[in-house]
Amino acid sequence: MSNNRHDKLDSLLRSRRVEAASPDLAQRIILKARGLPQVRNFSLWQSVRQLFAEFRLPKPGYVLASALIIGMLVGFSTTPDDSSIKEASSSTAQLYLSLSGDEDLL
Amino acid sequence: MPAAWPEKDDHELLALIQDGSGQAFAVLVERHTERFYRLAFRYLQNKAAAEDVVQDAFLKLWENPANWQPERNSKFTTWFYRVVVNLCFDHRKRKGPVALDEDLPLIDDREPVEETMMRAQEQRILEKEIAALPERQRTALHLCFDEGLTNQEASEVMGLHLKALQSLIMRAKTTLKERMKAYL
Repeated sequence: MSNNRHDKLDSLLRSRRVEAASPDLAQRIILKARGLPQVRNFSLWQSVRQLFAEFRLPKPGYVLASALIIGMLVGFSTTPDDSSIKEASSSTAQLYLSLSGDEDLL
Repeated sequence: MPAAWPEKDDHELLALIQDGSGQAFAVLVERHTERFYRLAFRYLQNKAAAEDVVQDAFLKLWENPANWQPERNSKFTTWFYRVVVNLCFDHRKRKGPVALDEDLPLIDDREPVEETMMRAQEQRILEKEIAALPERQRTALHLCFDEGLTNQEASEVMGLHLKALQSLIMRAKTTLKERMKAYL
């Protein structure tokens, strides 16, 4: 008896009817959305991820090799800066001269 | 619209919507409007109110597509059921319980008149008794019986443990059996 009632209730629950939606409901929603702008919330994390998604690094081997080659090219192509050596030698000469002048006085 | 659009799954469409694609939105709306309308109608028992709720839900998605977070939600429909149910709650809170639509065609025209009348009466009583159930019990019934979700899916939509959902359904059915004694 209890099982019958249970089954009947189940079948009643499953046979409930729904009034059909307006046939143009989907179109109405789509049209309405066309007039609405989208809100774009970018969090800091999202922007960082996006930046890195566009910035693709090549394989580490290539990075290392190209860094070495660039380093060597830069190293060989620049002339050594000798202005500091000249400055050092001229100051040494002045020091020597001043010292020798002091000795003459003595 | 390119032929490939309707073949895209919900997650692909949502990613395109997040990039501002109106076509992807149109495909998603066409695909799911009927299903979510049914749920809202079961809940609100009023065609205009149910259509408004479904429209609101989709427009919110369009306006703020970042609300959908694929890493947090396993399935679009499970997440969107929750959105629609919450909007139904809000609607009922704002407008109060909706009166049952008297024009609702509850019966099948092909049945003999007496049987038809009896079934119509049963269904009207059932709708009234379901409307009188606590909100969570009603939602559980809608999801499991009308939408055909598994208990597991319905529990995810409602944010409950499986056992809690089963208990809600059991209590709802016990109450309905008691209140509909004369018809069962």
